[in-house]
Amino acid sequence: MPEVKLATQKRFHLVDLWQLDGCDYPRALQWSPHGEFIAYGSSDGTLSVLEAQSGLVRWRKSVAAAITHVQWNPRRPLVALGTERGACQVLGATGQVVVELPANQSWPECLSWSADGELIALAAGRKLEVYTFQGERVFQADDHPSTITAIGWNAGGDALAISCYGGVHIRPLQGKRPARHLSFKGSLISLAWSPNGDVIACGSQDCSVHFWRLSSGKDSEMTGYPSKPRWLAWSPDSRLLATSGESTICIWKFEGTGPEGTRPLMLKGHEDLLTQLDFSPAGNVLASGSKDADLLLWCPDVTLRPVGMACLRSEITHLSFNRDGRFLAAADSSGLLRAWKVIEAS
Amino acid sequence: MAVDKKVPVTVLTGFLGSGKTTLLNRILTEQHGMRVAVIENEFGEIGIDQALVINADEEIFEMNNGCICCTVRGDLIRILGNLMKRKDKFDHILLETTGMADPGPVAQTFFVDDEVSTQLRLDGIVTLVDAKHFALHVDDSEECKQQIAFADVMVLNKTDLVPGDQVDLIERRIRKLNAMARVHRAIKANVPIDTVLDVGGFDLRRAVEQKPTFLEPEYPFEWAGAYSLKPRLANLVLRGGPDSSMDVALVDISTADVEGVRGGAERAVRFWSRTPDRLTSGGAITATAKGHFLLDFSKEKAGARRVYPLSVPRPGIYALMIEHRPEEYDLRIEDAEGNLLKPKADKYFGSGHSHDETVTSVGIHEEGEVDMDRLNQWMSKTLQESGVDIFRMKGILNIAGQKERFVFQGVHMLFDGAPDRPWGKAPRANDLVFIGRKLDREKLIAGFRKCLR
Repeated sequence: MPEVKLATQKRFHLVDLWQLDGCDYPRALQWSPHGEFIAYGSSDGTLSVLEAQSGLVRWRKSVAAAITHVQWNPRRPLVALGTERGACQVLGATGQVVVELPANQSWPECLSWSADGELIALAAGRKLEVYTFQGERVFQADDHPSTITAIGWNAGGDALAISCYGGVHIRPLQGKRPARHLSFKGSLISLAWSPNGDVIACGSQDCSVHFWRLSSGKDSEMTGYPSKPRWLAWSPDSRLLATSGESTICIWKFEGTGPEGTRPLMLKGHEDLLTQLDFSPAGNVLASGSKDADLLLWCPDVTLRPVGMACLRSEITHLSFNRDGRFLAAADSSGLLRAWKVIEAS
Repeated sequence: MAVDKKVPVTVLTGFLGSGKTTLLNRILTEQHGMRVAVIENEFGEIGIDQALVINADEEIFEMNNGCICCTVRGDLIRILGNLMKRKDKFDHILLETTGMADPGPVAQTFFVDDEVSTQLRLDGIVTLVDAKHFALHVDDSEECKQQIAFADVMVLNKTDLVPGDQVDLIERRIRKLNAMARVHRAIKANVPIDTVLDVGGFDLRRAVEQKPTFLEPEYPFEWAGAYSLKPRLANLVLRGGPDSSMDVALVDISTADVEGVRGGAERAVRFWSRTPDRLTSGGAITATAKGHFLLDFSKEKAGARRVYPLSVPRPGIYALMIEHRPEEYDLRIEDAEGNLLKPKADKYFGSGHSHDETVTSVGIHEEGEVDMDRLNQWMSKTLQESGVDIFRMKGILNIAGQKERFVFQGVHMLFDGAPDRPWGKAPRANDLVFIGRKLDREKLIAGFRKCLR
């Protein structure tokens, strides 16, 4: 654990709820929409749904291949599951298979519900498919120039942004708006669509962050990251974009004329490469995890110093706030899973 | 000291039908007790349950900066990254490329991408060569040459389907393209597993264990004959042939047999790269320690008889090396009276010369100490100018003032070097190999010589 100097004006305590050890390598970790469960998928093909307050297993399901994705439906008691066999399923409240989506030859690269929970987008290889929650296919496109690396729904759930080599494709699913292509000369590896819908930010293979403003068509590139910015996170108010790519968190402020021509906030505290970033959905509290097992909390609007900390055992692979930001769960590469209550110190 | 836990990756290349899948299945069915994952780029024919088999689409990603050494395989970055997300890591990963794949971006992925390079190591590139269809592929396809040029190990497969002397010819030719790789002959890809796995081809410490083999194709001449000669009593006589010039050399040898011819050839190879003296008809071909001449026919009448006196300092046995086959030029040796002198022994050399290869190996062996600053300057200039055409390079250097050998290797413009074990009693010398396209042998040699103190 580094000697981190926490901020004095604001502090959070991470109060242990429970921890679970001996799981296989985590591949997915997510709170259910109402915060009663945590879904945890691992590379041995096990999906565990845990009771959030106790960590007890509510139900478990084993599949024949490593799990690649687990996604709760935001509105319904459904959870979507992707595996390395190319199969994707939608499971019901007790793990029963409700819908079996057609399997692809390639591994699913992305699996994501729209915000209203009506649709689920599945990307495998160059193909993107969108299904209703009942499993009816409503959209398909396989004209992407390379394997899809990331997708993002807009807040309204009627358009998808798809990143791959050569840029971002925006595909409206309804109405007569034309598809858009935001061109980029290189390979994009991550994508985050701002909650207000105006900015699409992408991390690229050549260690830069590129973003496009959809209203003005203006785009900018932030270079100089020592490593690939694989993790990007928007604050809920769309003002702050947190980016990884080194041990320091670099935050671009989308205010006034910025971030162009402005200095980003540099949050220093980690001693190794960042491996996770997640903004609390309830406010501008950011959680970050690093390769050397440290977890830090930040309030970038208030201070550049960390405001809370915890430690796992090895590289942090997943971080997830619940919907109101009062709880946090994390998993590391050794199979250790921890959950905390996030309490602001008085 | 941390043990290197990086998972080794073996890349299998070779044209469609060369036996990649056969070799793959062989490796997988062998009782080696390893957990193996296979990444397939071609229509899969693997029927093995114990291995995880993943299909990949070859995706070559150029970076924004357009630099060729940053061109990587996006599909591999993704798949390898996912394969590492396991508690029980695989013991070995096999990557079967398509028949048309360029190994450059595959190799570079392991050095350029930090997520890949921290977890995996490229163990070696194994290239399958189909003896039956080799000639067809190699002359028409740049990809085929590249796959051979990049290899650490070449499996010359299907040798049962062609006569033995043809296999010899193919082996010579592939060794000319790549003098660095080990060559194993095989029938149905039946090579021992340890010859293709864990070869350490990109391991700096092991990369230079194998001395390059410059076999007969390195001879820049096609024929040599041993003659018993006396001063001013013999002439080389020829008529026009396919080329407007021809290189020849005359050296004294010890015995009038094939061994003697071979010894003369060995010596001639060493000075052949120096600029020859130009001769027109009537000019004497002199037997000296470095007697290399270029017979220039360009200003002479086509088909005219040309005579070059063979000038030797004393009576003895001499070997005459000529660039082309004698029959192509109606070439003969006559005595002063015009009688034919028959060679006491003669030898035709590998057909390496007859193929105007765009891909070649250039080996440099020089004694002397290297000035590190000059070497750095020369290396960065060379890589800047011809890094695109240099596929691979390896070497051991004798750096001035250093007790240890300096070993290096590279792929295109990526260069990796470090001090190795002490020289001890071993003779200190510099050995370098460059494999690439359109390499200028003389320029490379001259450039390196300027780095010597």
